[in-house]
Amino acid sequence: MNPITLSMFTTALLSGTLITLSSTNWLMAWMGLEINTMAIIPIIARKHHPRATEAATKYFLIQAPAAATILFCAITNAWMTGQWEINQMSTDLPIILILISLAFKMGMAPVHSWLPDVLQGLDLMTGLVLSTWQKLAPFYLILQLHSTHSLTLILLGTMSILVGGWGGLNQTQTRKILAYSSITHMGWMLVILQFSPELTLMTFTLYVTMTLPVFMILHQNNTLSINKLPILATHTPTISALIPLLLLSLGGLPPLTGFIPKWLIIQKMSHLGLFGLATITALSGLFSLYFYLRLSYISSITMSPSSNLTTATWRLTPNSIPLGLKTTIVPSMMLLPLTPMINSLLL
Amino acid sequence: MPSTQFVFFTMFFLSLGGITFYRNHILSVLLCLEGLMLSLFLLLAIWSLETNTTLFMATPMLLLAFSACEAGLGLALLIATTRTHGAANLNSLTTLRW
Repeated sequence: MNPITLSMFTTALLSGTLITLSSTNWLMAWMGLEINTMAIIPIIARKHHPRATEAATKYFLIQAPAAATILFCAITNAWMTGQWEINQMSTDLPIILILISLAFKMGMAPVHSWLPDVLQGLDLMTGLVLSTWQKLAPFYLILQLHSTHSLTLILLGTMSILVGGWGGLNQTQTRKILAYSSITHMGWMLVILQFSPELTLMTFTLYVTMTLPVFMILHQNNTLSINKLPILATHTPTISALIPLLLLSLGGLPPLTGFIPKWLIIQKMSHLGLFGLATITALSGLFSLYFYLRLSYISSITMSPSSNLTTATWRLTPNSIPLGLKTTIVPSMMLLPLTPMINSLLL
Repeated sequence: MPSTQFVFFTMFFLSLGGITFYRNHILSVLLCLEGLMLSLFLLLAIWSLETNTTLFMATPMLLLAFSACEAGLGLALLIATTRTHGAANLNSLTTLRW
């Protein structure tokens, strides 16, 4: 794609989300969402490839009716109460319908099945945008609506954690596994949303920090399915040593960054006496831990059978690690000692 | 619920049902999407006329502009799908399942 065109669409993508983030009115929020959708579709379809086109078509056919439903609920609310403000919605049915269609836009559990498909058709950097930046605007709208419909939020959240873990078990494509991992993390955010919105914000930030280097590593080595993961060891040995730690950090094992959100969320739940919910979320996190463990097992703990000549291609053409990867890989593993600072910054 | 509101609600949910259940061809989905947008346009126009809020008089036009952009995008995707898949049937969009 022409760099000028690409920069135009990127600017529209950024400004669409920012319009949604800075609006208090449903109409402006809807416009931001629409600008966002219309800007990312050319970026998705910029490779003239059947899969990319199909992903763009599916993404459009999902996002457009969801946005229309959001606006429909807002207008219904205006007909009933005369109110356009986002945080002053009071009628039950529009709120539930809006929650479901926002979950649809983000790809949360009962309405998630488009997300792995669409991500499968993308190149990994666009996939990174889709699984982080694109979730920001709908999530902000859910944040604005919070604390009114606890049951809907908890159901969406726990189902996302369960389904995200369960669906990822059977996948061999890294992009589909990352999509299911994204569904799981969104589930954690939604479960805690009504009890402590600050924790949600922190989980989102840490999810972005952790998922960024994973996408970048896979993009750098063009690893699209898990049987290409062992090649990492011959191309970039340092990265191959770090990637199990990164993946276990995404899974949420203790000495790594990913443990912070899980720890604080479960602590918050047990403070509030929600032991059943805490148990369910903690146990269904094990499903996703299983597939992260399998990824790290394949990528570095095993050695693929290969001759001596192919084991050290990094000596012949040394691959330099990009700067963005260097800067994100450290916080995505080692932030746990800084938990008190993160706590005091956000909570 | 006033009867006008009921009419537009029915219109919206029929179009949504059309998107959900009748999805052979992309064009039919796009037509249903236009139905959604049209019912929203009418709802918004009647609301701002009935309540006489000057602030909201322009909003139906904004909505129409956005829906026109969206329809253009949809038709572009229809053409792109026809070029890459040979036909614009939604049933043939299966390369991403595996």
